[in-house]
Amino acid sequence: MLAFQILIDGFAISALYALGATGFTLIFGVSGVLNLSHGAIMVLAAVAAWAAASVLHVDTYTGALIGVAVALVAAFATYFAVVQPIQKSTRIPNEEKEIFVLTGTLLWGIMIQELIAYFFTNNAKTVLPIIEGVIDILGVRTPRNEIFTAVVCCLVIALLWLMVNRTRTGKAVLAASMNPRGVTLLGLELGSIYVVVWAIYGILAGIAGVLLGMFLGVSSYSVGPLTASAFSIVVLGGLGSVSGSLIAAFVVGYLETLTAYLISPAYRTIPALLLLVAVMYVRPQGLLGRR
Amino acid sequence: MGDFFKSRLFFVSLAVVIIASTLPLYVSGYVLGLLTVAYYFGVFAMSWDLLFGFAGEVNFGPTFLIGVGAYTAGILNNQYGWSVYLCIVLGALAAVVAGFVLALPALRVRGPYFGLTTLVAVLMLQNFIVVFADLTGGEIGLTIPDVISIDAGVNYWIALGFMTISAIILYGLSQSPIGLVLQASGQDPIQAGALGFNIVKHKLAAFVVSAFFSGLSGALLVFYFGTASVGTVVDIAVGVQVIVAAVLGGRRTVLGAALGAIFLIVAGEFLRPTGELATFIVSTVALLVILFFPNGFLGAALSHGARS
Amino acid sequence: MTKTSLPRVFRSFPGLLGATALGLLATASGQALAADPIKIGVIAEAQAIAGASIPQAAQMAADEINAKGGVDGRKIEIVTYDNHSSSADSVRAFQRAVNEDKVNIVIASYISEVVLALEPWASRLKTPFITPGAASNEISKSVHNDYEKNKYTFHGYLTSAALALSVCDAAKELLVEQKNMKTAVIMSEDAAWTKPLDVGYEECLPKIGLKVIDHIRFSPDTTDFTPIFNKIEGTKPDVMITGISHVGVQPTVQWKNQQVPIPMFGISSQATNSTFGKDTNDASNGVLYQGVSGTGVAVTEKSVPFADGFNKRFGNFPSYAGYTAYDEVYYIADAVKRAGSTDADKLVDALEKTDWVGTIGRVQFYGKDDPFTHSIKYGKGLITGLMLQWQDGKQVAVWPKEVAKGQLKFPSFIKVTSN
Repeated sequence: MLAFQILIDGFAISALYALGATGFTLIFGVSGVLNLSHGAIMVLAAVAAWAAASVLHVDTYTGALIGVAVALVAAFATYFAVVQPIQKSTRIPNEEKEIFVLTGTLLWGIMIQELIAYFFTNNAKTVLPIIEGVIDILGVRTPRNEIFTAVVCCLVIALLWLMVNRTRTGKAVLAASMNPRGVTLLGLELGSIYVVVWAIYGILAGIAGVLLGMFLGVSSYSVGPLTASAFSIVVLGGLGSVSGSLIAAFVVGYLETLTAYLISPAYRTIPALLLLVAVMYVRPQGLLGRR
Repeated sequence: MGDFFKSRLFFVSLAVVIIASTLPLYVSGYVLGLLTVAYYFGVFAMSWDLLFGFAGEVNFGPTFLIGVGAYTAGILNNQYGWSVYLCIVLGALAAVVAGFVLALPALRVRGPYFGLTTLVAVLMLQNFIVVFADLTGGEIGLTIPDVISIDAGVNYWIALGFMTISAIILYGLSQSPIGLVLQASGQDPIQAGALGFNIVKHKLAAFVVSAFFSGLSGALLVFYFGTASVGTVVDIAVGVQVIVAAVLGGRRTVLGAALGAIFLIVAGEFLRPTGELATFIVSTVALLVILFFPNGFLGAALSHGARS
Repeated sequence: MTKTSLPRVFRSFPGLLGATALGLLATASGQALAADPIKIGVIAEAQAIAGASIPQAAQMAADEINAKGGVDGRKIEIVTYDNHSSSADSVRAFQRAVNEDKVNIVIASYISEVVLALEPWASRLKTPFITPGAASNEISKSVHNDYEKNKYTFHGYLTSAALALSVCDAAKELLVEQKNMKTAVIMSEDAAWTKPLDVGYEECLPKIGLKVIDHIRFSPDTTDFTPIFNKIEGTKPDVMITGISHVGVQPTVQWKNQQVPIPMFGISSQATNSTFGKDTNDASNGVLYQGVSGTGVAVTEKSVPFADGFNKRFGNFPSYAGYTAYDEVYYIADAVKRAGSTDADKLVDALEKTDWVGTIGRVQFYGKDDPFTHSIKYGKGLITGLMLQWQDGKQVAVWPKEVAKGQLKFPSFIKVTSN
């Protein structure tokens, strides 16, 4: 009974972590950018969906779509207003672009967070679930919304996999994440691949944000922890390795759920952090990372 | 080093310090209080810049070192009632030890991995403080029975003196042969290694110096505020502020970092009438500076000076 | 008090000079004029719903007093500071309030962490200070332990210990007598203010006939409450007794989404906000929470006019800290009148003798020899608090009988067996 419960609850949260981290790691793999405004974009998506539903009174589906659309716009804004100017700048030496992108996206994230807090206070918001009610799975009363979350996460990740492996654009993205120079040699425009990747990122972060808003709820306080958790998962899995992130998301998700059930909810995040430290000591490139 | 004493930068700095030291004679206690905090932040930012600008290592966790120094000093004072100065010294030493423990494994890895390790260290410290709430005060923060002084002028002079001495040592170090080796190893570690320098040893030294000043400054700050809390000395947001200050002021200049820190804190206060939007405005300005003047205040001023 | 006089003189002179020299502020002068205003500094969390009401309510009280001629001809002036929920910012604001803006007294914050950080500064700068919303027992215990030093701090809200009593008193009538409940699980966030609260719960719940079968504390950063609810459900209690403030929206929404069949009853600070229903998409229906006031609840004849006036002026109903802050401005004015001065020590003496019927009840402070010195007194005829329930998107008072507007009403997934 308890085992089933852990299995079911752990799955939904892990799938959500996986979705949140996938876009993050994809961008790093393709363009070497660690986007520290990630948490802010996710929260923005959820708050937009909430505001659409409770201020503009649109229905839940439209609200969710508005949330994802807002995240997409925010992702493009991040790329065109912050990341690209830094990458193209001639005044910043190449070896320092990394720290500038980090600082820039971090400031950008703080700006988004402050605006959310200004307009909607820092109180937590929750998005009305698309499907309400509960069903019984093997004696575990599970909210339909939780199942919905898990299914959507898996579907989106599967779609992404199909796109990357089956479409021309997707293959180019995959190639770019393996070797950016190789792509330019093949005559593909690296710039347009970046735009595609940021679009994918925006949609993924938006869906993850809206689902998070339905499943757990978000507030402007969640910005930092969300970025940090995506970061930890990606580091654990290996920077830039999408499959590594997926594995790491499930490891972290289940480790947290196990701790919460078997030890105490107060210590929920600690074992995952300890694991992260251990991995950094023994295998700094992460589970599936390349040096 | 010799050139420095003849340079314009030296005279400007000297004049600024002299003017700053007379401020308590004609400025209100509140402005002094604000600058006191800004000066301690200036030391945080300078220590960070030594590590980043010269050793080329991006330390995402300046607040790990600051927090260890601050909390060690605070806890010792709170638990045992030892004298403020002893606690401050022990806090700084604890930060050095923590810096050493962190640096040994962290320096084996490069690039983003070093930054990640330092970031994780902050998260661990934060959890530690919350879990051992009996000792640390946890979420609610640690109340510290003693403060250095309640007189705004005295606090101000201590902070100014401390920042000036730190600036001299850190700047001197960055211009010394050690600093040059660090700079070389930050830019091209293989070549620097080939020239026979022990890079790891140099970097470790830089880390330890950075840790010492961060911890010392953290401990002093705690005895200025009379309170230590995660939100004040450990939170990632505080670390972000330190990094932004250093980049804003001009990285690789050490002194610029202090300038950036003072700007951030004073600007935040001047914007108080804008209320909740103050942080938003400061972040926006900082982002614009990073995008359009990537060399920061001092970097821009220096390059302008060189051209004219 | 020779200690105070010297630095004051020392400070005000450079203060004047500095203001003119830098042109920072035109209002730095601390010189007494004929009708020198009474300055009250208000430090609060502008982005948090609980905090945002504090300066608004204080301003409202000040305007009302000033409209009636002020205190002995002196107007009340409110100077507000946003502390971004940070204790460092609060300390800075406190210093500014005292040194630069020359306030006579400070009202600050609903967060215990912030209040405890400010308490020593109230002593150091010898400026009276009242919190409208923090709950930690430590605030008034420090006053008791070192009265001479800490006497400048007043706790204008119930201590955690009193909050626990209030919850138990309500639970006795509502849960034990009306619903025949027998068992409870305590569920509280791991924070300093809940430690004494939990001790209070453990002590008083068995006395009223509720057996405590489990006690769960969780991190205030928790976002996923599924394991916690499942664990609680596993022990099959009749009720969950809550102690939550940092969290509120999230556990409530997840309680509803997961259809946890056990009612929530206790302290849930966020549920006191009038926007709570909207923030949770009405998952709040059925939640029972303790409050010192509620919209439309006439705790005293002042409660409803205040709340309505506030809503008219600011477009939303005040948070719990709004009520207390409003009362505080009034009894500060009253204390200044009685003391005939804004001198810190005289003001402290006068505040100790406060007997003021405000919006939350009759306010008196515990004395030097009580364990919670300078905290407001709890009890019948003074302040008892209320128990309210979210019903159909509205906050309805259900306890005590004198002010109750309705009966307990739970959503369909809650199984309350006996009636």
